Amino acid sequence: MRRQATYVVLIVLLSVGGIIYTLAAGNEPFLGLDLQGGASVVLEPAEPEDGTEINEETLDQAVEIIRNRVDGLGVREPEVTRHGATILVQIPGVEDEARAIDLVGQTAELRFRPVLADGMLGVPFSEAALASCPNASELLTAEPTPDAAAAECMIGTDKRNEAVTYLLGPAPELLQQDGDGVDRLNGESLETAAALFQVPEWIVSITFRAGSPGIDDFNNLASMCASGSVGCPPTGIDRSSGRGVGRLAIEIDGVVESAPNVAVANFSRDSIVISGGSMQEDEAKDLALVLRFGALPLELIPQESRIVSSTLGEDALDSGIIAAIIGLALVSIYLVAYYRLLGVIAILSLAISGSLLWTIIAWLGETQGLALTLAGVTGLIVSIGVSVDSNVVYFEHLKEDVRNDRSLRSAVERAFPIAYSTIVKANVASLIAAAVLYFLTVGQVKGFALFLGLATVLDLVATYFFMGPAIRLLAARDGVEEKPSRFGIPNPTEVSS
Amino acid sequence: MKMLRMLYRGEHHFDFPLMWRKALLGSGALVLLSVGALLFAGLNLGIEFEGGTSWEVNAPGQSVAEARDALSGTGAAAGKIQTVGSSVIRVRADLDDPASVNEVTTVLGNFAGVEGGDVSVTTVGPSWGDQITGKARNALIWFFFIIAFYIAIRLEWKMAVGALVAVAHDIVISVGVYAIFQFEVTPATVIAFLTIMGYSLYDTIVVYDKVREVAGRLSVTGRYTYTEMMNQSLNQVLMRSINTSITSVLPVLSMLVIGSFFLGALTLQEFAIALLIGIVVGTYSSIFVASSLVAFMKEREAEHAAVAKKVVTRAGGDVGTRVVAKQDAALGGITARPKRATADRPSAAGVPPRPRKKKKK
Repeated sequence: MRRQATYVVLIVLLSVGGIIYTLAAGNEPFLGLDLQGGASVVLEPAEPEDGTEINEETLDQAVEIIRNRVDGLGVREPEVTRHGATILVQIPGVEDEARAIDLVGQTAELRFRPVLADGMLGVPFSEAALASCPNASELLTAEPTPDAAAAECMIGTDKRNEAVTYLLGPAPELLQQDGDGVDRLNGESLETAAALFQVPEWIVSITFRAGSPGIDDFNNLASMCASGSVGCPPTGIDRSSGRGVGRLAIEIDGVVESAPNVAVANFSRDSIVISGGSMQEDEAKDLALVLRFGALPLELIPQESRIVSSTLGEDALDSGIIAAIIGLALVSIYLVAYYRLLGVIAILSLAISGSLLWTIIAWLGETQGLALTLAGVTGLIVSIGVSVDSNVVYFEHLKEDVRNDRSLRSAVERAFPIAYSTIVKANVASLIAAAVLYFLTVGQVKGFALFLGLATVLDLVATYFFMGPAIRLLAARDGVEEKPSRFGIPNPTEVSS
Repeated sequence: MKMLRMLYRGEHHFDFPLMWRKALLGSGALVLLSVGALLFAGLNLGIEFEGGTSWEVNAPGQSVAEARDALSGTGAAAGKIQTVGSSVIRVRADLDDPASVNEVTTVLGNFAGVEGGDVSVTTVGPSWGDQITGKARNALIWFFFIIAFYIAIRLEWKMAVGALVAVAHDIVISVGVYAIFQFEVTPATVIAFLTIMGYSLYDTIVVYDKVREVAGRLSVTGRYTYTEMMNQSLNQVLMRSINTSITSVLPVLSMLVIGSFFLGALTLQEFAIALLIGIVVGTYSSIFVASSLVAFMKEREAEHAAVAKKVVTRAGGDVGTRVVAKQDAALGGITARPKRATADRPSAAGVPPRPRKKKKK
């Protein structure tokens, strides 16, 4: 009996301690996107056309670049994770979700900008050079700007030499859509790019899309640069003719990949070649990659993108919680009505496994970033039924034994090991199911499996350390034998009727 | 009421084997119907499996027709538009390029009079669904193997067969309901189906464990056929099955009802419908499908066949399933006491010692 009491005291202390710890540490479950609103994208690399394998390094590099972009959005706790070759980006509670999703996996961050002046890191540009910039005052510090609207100037750093800077001008007005800062000439205007060896050097050949956005926009800019007009001043010298021509910088996230001279005013969409500057093979290939995919080292295809409005998300959470509370209340009423004192123990047992579960979920959310999703919540609601069943199996066994003329006390002792063995067998089957689902599936099903598995283990713990001992203690009290009805067991005197 | 009282007191003696034949015929018909519906109507797969985009927006007081008008100029004009819950409009279309998706989002936002961010949008690429489905199929196959192995070890292989047939029965019928009523299958539905599998298995294992316990005691007497022992076990676990089903259904019902009052609770509702079907079918199958299969297989074992022959000869024909005598039912290793003493008994220590039943862990 003493051991039973120790178990009960220990498990109660443990669960109360867990709750106190959780409250004191301020741990809260980390809510998934479907409960708090936000955006998520699943990205998968496309098969490389040249049949090469996608290596781990490239994927990690892509994850890193995406993380930088998302961080640039200034949202709280963005998550960029890689599962095998799949990259999952989760951006909770972001303001403009659609833009966030665009930004993450797409090529839109590549821009073509005219070079206004060359510079050195830390040396301010001359006022003359800044004259055509609407945001000249912000650029006086000579600090490189990582991002700027298409209508503004920016300071970019050279990809190969960080000390070299460029003052990059705004795209001409006709290339800006309705002046809203979205420029037409970006990575989207490109169809493809490839690195080729053309004796004596490596070159990158670009193919634009037809029309606009595409080659038409590029030619607008090219004609400015070729004539060396104010928007694209002659900062370079054409090798063949020796005359001054403007340059166009290929800029990604504030880094100038290349700033070739533009000597021709009108290109056909597949005849553009970036050459000169004694490009090495890997440089040329990198540049082609960047042109094709933006800054990402491989092409990522969004497989699933999800935007959950925060109102709908919160609603889902509220209704989940209310459903759980009402469900629990109904189950409690039923249990007490049917099993009386045993029912009370069952509810307490549920409370114990529930509070342990809460502690673990909150802790995992805080430390591992484990998100509680709607699928997880449903897993938990479902586990109410399974947990109660452990109690019901035991109680029915108890009743059966008492019906077969056993004293309540001896029935309590005898039935528990038998019932527990049944419960373990059934729960292990649930655990196997949860484990298989956890390891072999993705996304929502995985979350569901994890929470179901957790709840199942805790059910076993609560049953063994609380429910069983508590009922033995209860049965040991004086006067119990006379009133089996308190245990939801029919009074023996009425059995004969 | 009388029936309830009997159930509560455990005085019921249903003749389950008598019902098995009818139940199996019914099950067979349902399974055929489900398979037929799956073959001819197919499943109404959500965009998660087929690719495309779905939008959800809270638009109180707006009708589907009005939404269709608003969307007429966009790529979603030919899409599927429906209301879900009380006021949420859901649009589904076979679009996945960002530009057209954004256009529809903007139009829907204007239509409902909310900001773009208040429209929930899910876009799924065409190959993603195949991957998800493939993974789920793999998981399912592994699950069947491992569980069969587990039951074969913990219980016995005939029970593994019975349990898996019962689980398959439940899944086919649940999926069949989705095919017949053309409910949309979403990842939440898949989760629900998997849960149903878990419930069904759990129920079946509880029943089997009881049979093993009862048969372990009674078969030594040589007086009862396996079917009779199975019937006795089923009667004993009946209240457990009923109570567990009720306590499992209550939270699910509250999900279903609460879900219809809230806007964002579609997943919850979709989940609840599948679960409700699954719990009912799962409880039924553990009592009627899983048990009858095992009884059928066990009756062919030499030991049980011999008893059955003896019993039939003695009873002189088919008289339904005999009820296990009370003194036998109580066989728990101790001799049954004639009448329970209600007067003050010393303590549990007063129970005569009994030989422990050999229990395989």
